[in-house]
Amino acid sequence: MSKSILAGLLLICSAIAQAAPSAQEILAASDAVRNPDYPFGLTNTLVEYRNGKQSDTSTLAIYSKSDAASGQFRSLIRYIAPARDASKLILYSGKDLWFYDPSSKASIRLSPQQRLLGQASNGDVVTVNLAKDYQASSAEEEDTQDGERKTKHCYKLLMSASTSDATYHHIEMWVETANTHPVKARFYTESGKLLKTAYYRKYQPQLGGDRPTEIVIIDGLDTNWVTVMRYSDWVKRDVPDAWLQRDYLPRFKPELE
Amino acid sequence: MRRLAICALWLICTLASAAGQDDADLDALATADKATAAPEHASDWHAFVEGAFGNATQRYGLPDYRSERLSADVALDKTLGAGWRVLFADRLDGNWQGQEPNEYKVNTLKELYLSWQVTPNEIIDVGRINTRYGVGYGYNPTDYFKDNAVRSVVSVDPNSLRNNRLGSVMVRTQMLWNGGALTALVSPKLASQPSADAFSVDLGATNNTNRWLLAVSQRVAENVNPQFLLSGEQGKSAQLGFDLTHVLGDATVVFVEWSGGQGASLYSEALGNPTRQVFRNRMATGLSYTTTNKISLTLEAEYNGSALDSADWAALATGPIVNYLQYRNYAQAVQELPTRKSLFINANWQDAMISHLDLNALARQDLTDQSRLSWIEARYHWDHTDVALQWQRYGGKPWSDFGVVPQRTTWQSVMTYYF
Repeated sequence: MSKSILAGLLLICSAIAQAAPSAQEILAASDAVRNPDYPFGLTNTLVEYRNGKQSDTSTLAIYSKSDAASGQFRSLIRYIAPARDASKLILYSGKDLWFYDPSSKASIRLSPQQRLLGQASNGDVVTVNLAKDYQASSAEEEDTQDGERKTKHCYKLLMSASTSDATYHHIEMWVETANTHPVKARFYTESGKLLKTAYYRKYQPQLGGDRPTEIVIIDGLDTNWVTVMRYSDWVKRDVPDAWLQRDYLPRFKPELE
Repeated sequence: MRRLAICALWLICTLASAAGQDDADLDALATADKATAAPEHASDWHAFVEGAFGNATQRYGLPDYRSERLSADVALDKTLGAGWRVLFADRLDGNWQGQEPNEYKVNTLKELYLSWQVTPNEIIDVGRINTRYGVGYGYNPTDYFKDNAVRSVVSVDPNSLRNNRLGSVMVRTQMLWNGGALTALVSPKLASQPSADAFSVDLGATNNTNRWLLAVSQRVAENVNPQFLLSGEQGKSAQLGFDLTHVLGDATVVFVEWSGGQGASLYSEALGNPTRQVFRNRMATGLSYTTTNKISLTLEAEYNGSALDSADWAALATGPIVNYLQYRNYAQAVQELPTRKSLFINANWQDAMISHLDLNALARQDLTDQSRLSWIEARYHWDHTDVALQWQRYGGKPWSDFGVVPQRTTWQSVMTYYF
């Protein structure tokens, strides 16, 4: 009798354990919501506001592909607008960051610091597999407001950088318990300074799943500096691995249609 | 009791901070709700027009003069069908200088070529192509196709010199693999002499001899992607080249660009008597550092082993003036340093104090004769329009690298409209 009670208890514990995924599993599931698990392309329209007034707009064509070795995304980003920057390219491939200007034919290597500056710096909020570079240590449940001011029941993940490729020292991320949709995230420096807050909103069915089609990014130091990143023209498109290198940048031309 | 009070205060502060952050988030989200910008679509055409006017003060008792310029720049990258593209880039500069009605126009057919992507990893290009190698900022020893390529100098900014130049007619093929690439090209002789005609395609400037180049690059580790080059020209020894960049820490990129091979001195080439062939090195190496407030600083040491050393440079200044001028003109045409050693410094500050304002500065110090070129630019940009104010100064002793230039100080304002 006692054996069967014990077996029953083990079964219940096992079921509970299965029902409550680990923090890292939740993080991986939320990565899969943001990014398809196959190569894809999309158009990113950025609108920047300073003190409530629109100050900048730009349009980027982005191609992303998971690297078989690291599991991390490699991305090619081409400026569509503004006109002065049209056709300029940025290649993100781990620590290899390259900027290409078609006018001067110059391929310039960028440092991680330069990655954090400029419009494309926010690309890492989206096309990055956080679970590859961060270790989530806790997943407390709590209610929070999403980007559309609705209350969502979420896991609050506390993540710390686990590889040298990680851009941020630590991140707090709220992931909806019902569907592992990322709701919002706060990105911090080592000293605890808030760098940016991101709200993932306007979920729509895209490339086989419900995905956020708009990210609102609020600067950590100046909360009146707001960037809206809107995603459109999602398309499944493979890019040969050989194209994701400096020598192909002069030739890369996106064809989203 | 005191500890309890501190805890309560800390709790109140934390809650107040969180509440403040949430309020800020709500305001930001309300702002974001207003966003209506529609995505723009890629265009095959890119074009801009640019107007500039300036004023120069001169040496040697020469009068100050005003200059005006109007330029149009157009580029096309058109897909013709699966794997086929045609690329075209052209620039027209109209210049007016001084009191005289001496307008002169210069057209630069930068590129016109057909590209065929035979397979995803094999490409063949045929036509006039502006091919450029090198990782240096101010001096590029491995930029083997820069000779005589600039028809119209509109700025001393090295970027401008690289943008506004002729390509060479060539057949180029490239093979790619994961992490590496091999490029081979041949550029035949098609004419003998450069042309001064305003609308000449000027094949005599870029294709006045048979040339070839091989370039191979291979990613050997994360963050390490060297490029090796071998370049040749009819009647001259092949030159080896090497380019490497490396990221140090979060904010620093170090770079080295080297070229070496048997060759005559720049002086003997300039005087049309290239005799003594010895191994000569040319190099640009340095680092670029970026701060968190968008300031980038680049420091580059430059060495040209084929240029005159201190003694010969000093001797040239006291020798026949015709030799001096011939040497200077030749070095400028082939875009080589006329003296052995230089230091190049570049600084730029994006969004300097106010959004959309960029400050750029560069200085080139000739370490052989201590003369200096300084250039500063303030540039403000709107969606389609840039406005810039530029200041430039050539300083140094008479007959020095930069001190000999008649223009002592130049001011220029520039307006650019991008279509």
